[in-house]
Amino acid sequence: MKAVGARLPRYDGVAHVTGRTVFVEDWDVPGVGWVKALRSPHPHAGIEKLDPAPAEKIKGVRAVVTAADVPLNVYGHLSALGIPGDEPLLADTEVRYQGQPVAVVAADDEEIAQAAVDAIEVEWEVREPLLDVRKAFDPDAPQIHQWGNWYPHFEAEMDHRQIRKGDIDKAFADADLIVQGVYRPAAIEQLPIETQVCQVVPEANGRLTIYSCTQALYFSMGVVAAHLQQPLNKFKFVGGTVGGGFGGKVDTATETLCCLLALKSGKPTKWRWTREEEFLCSSTRAPWHMEIADAVTKDGWILGRRMVTLHDSGAYARFSPYGVTKHSFHHTGAYTIPNLHFDGWVVFTNRTPTSAMRGFGVTSVSFATETHMSRIAQELGMDPFEIRLKNANRIGDTSPNGVVYTDPSTVPTILAIADHLGHELPADYRTMTTEPRSGDLLPEHLVAQLGNVEAH
Amino acid sequence: MAAVTDILIPASPEEAVSAYGDGAGVTVIGGGTIVMPDISAGRLKPAKTILLARAGMSAVTREGGRVTIGAATPLEALVDLPAPVGPCAANVGDCEIRGQATVGGNLCAGEGPGAPRGDLQGALIAVGAEVRSAGAGGETTEPLEDFLGKRRERLVLDVSFVEPAAGAFVALDRPHTHEYTTLAVSAALLADGSVRLAATGAGWWGVRLTSAEAAASDPEAAGQAALQDVTLHDDVLASAWYRGQALPVLVRRALAQLRGDA
Amino acid sequence: MNLTVNGVAQEIESPPLTTLLDVLREELGVNSPKVGCEQGGCGACTVLVDGEPRRSCLVPVAAVDGADIATVEGLGTPEDLAPIQAAFVHHYAAQCGFCTSGLLMAAKAYIDGGGTDDREAIAEALGGHVCRCTGYVKILDAVAAAARGDEFDISVTAEGQYTTMHSGGET
Repeated sequence: MKAVGARLPRYDGVAHVTGRTVFVEDWDVPGVGWVKALRSPHPHAGIEKLDPAPAEKIKGVRAVVTAADVPLNVYGHLSALGIPGDEPLLADTEVRYQGQPVAVVAADDEEIAQAAVDAIEVEWEVREPLLDVRKAFDPDAPQIHQWGNWYPHFEAEMDHRQIRKGDIDKAFADADLIVQGVYRPAAIEQLPIETQVCQVVPEANGRLTIYSCTQALYFSMGVVAAHLQQPLNKFKFVGGTVGGGFGGKVDTATETLCCLLALKSGKPTKWRWTREEEFLCSSTRAPWHMEIADAVTKDGWILGRRMVTLHDSGAYARFSPYGVTKHSFHHTGAYTIPNLHFDGWVVFTNRTPTSAMRGFGVTSVSFATETHMSRIAQELGMDPFEIRLKNANRIGDTSPNGVVYTDPSTVPTILAIADHLGHELPADYRTMTTEPRSGDLLPEHLVAQLGNVEAH
Repeated sequence: MAAVTDILIPASPEEAVSAYGDGAGVTVIGGGTIVMPDISAGRLKPAKTILLARAGMSAVTREGGRVTIGAATPLEALVDLPAPVGPCAANVGDCEIRGQATVGGNLCAGEGPGAPRGDLQGALIAVGAEVRSAGAGGETTEPLEDFLGKRRERLVLDVSFVEPAAGAFVALDRPHTHEYTTLAVSAALLADGSVRLAATGAGWWGVRLTSAEAAASDPEAAGQAALQDVTLHDDVLASAWYRGQALPVLVRRALAQLRGDA
Repeated sequence: MNLTVNGVAQEIESPPLTTLLDVLREELGVNSPKVGCEQGGCGACTVLVDGEPRRSCLVPVAAVDGADIATVEGLGTPEDLAPIQAAFVHHYAAQCGFCTSGLLMAAKAYIDGGGTDDREAIAEALGGHVCRCTGYVKILDAVAAAARGDEFDISVTAEGQYTTMHSGGET
């Protein structure tokens, strides 16, 4: 092998430093028009009136598109995973988050496009928003989604994600101490330095060339084709150079509407989101509410974990069911806990829909688990390295979703950290390995889970 | 994005004053760091604009203990001035912003959509700065804290103050360089032995902390007294509650710094 | 109005309050400065105006009539990179590349102004630039190395482990 282990230069490094890398907006498209969107100022409202006619009359306006112009307005981006569509490309009867697009305009320049958006006549019937996931379950909470206030997990028997393993009641009865914690990481905006942007050119042969910042070229092509009800070969996606994405450029935020405007106007069209739009309207990493209660022994074994997760999906499901599923599979982190009772809900709120960001679903639970381990160590008066090493995943241990670990790196990693920090450990900890549990590292309560794939 | 009908680039302070007239419908651009984003976003469509870049109003002069700063002086030119003005200027943005942003623009900035602007207001109030300005009724000179109420209708010509015997500047320190000042307290010991205190970020523009000044010999008491001088608000940078917790601490630290300095 | 851009005299027809960024990109086709925020908050648009680094998204072109503007296009070519460009390549200081143009011009101004390989001083000078990809450490490595006058082999990426804000790796 010539590449692995070699210090290869970055293939586009020279292009980056000479200004030759071509990002979406660097493509020179003569006569390209500007796009602006009419966006909801309310987190929750009915649309009483929507009249784009005044905008269409403005000189320099090339096209205005509303929900009526979209061949398939609601398309489930993850329908292949059994998650039905719930989100309109453009809102028609109501809006469910502040910033939700209702109409888009293409015009000769940015100023005319904005004037056209301002000229669209719209009337709202403001409704009470649901903004706190904890309130979603109250009987008097505003009902904000056609499926109810949380995703009902159509493909499963239960209306939320569950993991059940072992005997949680016995674990809690056998514990010396129950350690509880609530963890609420806030939303995080991916903040790529390049905002959402695309340029669409209608070609003479009837195809559309789409210069896209998407992280997922083929996926976005499928989304556009589905909304437009056109065959895939109608679209030529040009992409590959993304000015930062981090999960924030998989939602195909601009391409479909830009295509509709390009088709309706017959002219090349560009949509670049402002930094304000990027903050307000682009998907973020979700806020999470996680409650953990661990049944622990005074010598630092974690016998069982009860966990409740409320994931704030925002107004629509997008990829959240997938995120919560992954989250549930990893809810014990790098540690082996044999008795589990996990419940996780994808909760809807009237906030910007949340979506992928690096580690989607797992970063939240890693944060919660690691903080909780330190909390346990503190409450037991134990060294935080020792409690982790003791409970660390080893070969033959099983995960919450019944995967048998074949080579987990938890033990060597923790030992390397201790070494790097100069943290002294007793000899029996210093010599721990990732080899299968035995002797003192295999207490009675961990026997049943060894190599056992029967979680459900 | 703006279709501007009238741009004037005066070549002298006199031309600037004449172009400004009574200020009606005039947008003044010092450096542009505050105004240009609004113009780019279409929030501001100036009808008549005066660019001060070449008006010869960009000098800092020191004479007999008095410092005079032209309105179009970039903030970078102030960073070596004594505390509190120097450290306050150095705390604004980064060197690229400071190289373009001007004193006049900073003092006259309107309330931002998200947070107060005018980082220098507190420091200059603390040193007892006076503002010489033009506009309706002709030229006037007045204390900065009196000027602020009409800053949107005047053309600042220069700001001047007598160098204090000692000065101090303490600010809430965030690791980013881009926000306006969340909260800062400036202190100055004047030649006559009196202490002046002022805050930026405790309200929508800079404010003098007269109650805190009265208690200046007891920093702890002065910190608590300062809360009477301000009307705190919630904004994107901090809540009123948070500023209320931080203000007494900053006042105490500013006074301690002043003592150490004197 | 007139600008000299990378040594070439240009007559400018854009309206006077057009940002320097829009003049460069839209009128002159100089694409290296990027649109990141249009508020001066990110540094992706930084160019040199008479040798000084400025946020081109904040500069009304009328204010710089007659000035010398320097952008990445004038720094060097793939066949003949400027030291700061070679430093960024060798030290892997660019990932997506979107913030790179602004950083290169700011770094150039820092070094031309006598800036040393002191990492705190570099971080202070470049403190207005936001990068979401690299975590900044390799950018500091690159600028420090260029300030020192290191020579760069751009056919390999530099050695460097466990570099932090405050300590450089081996090169």
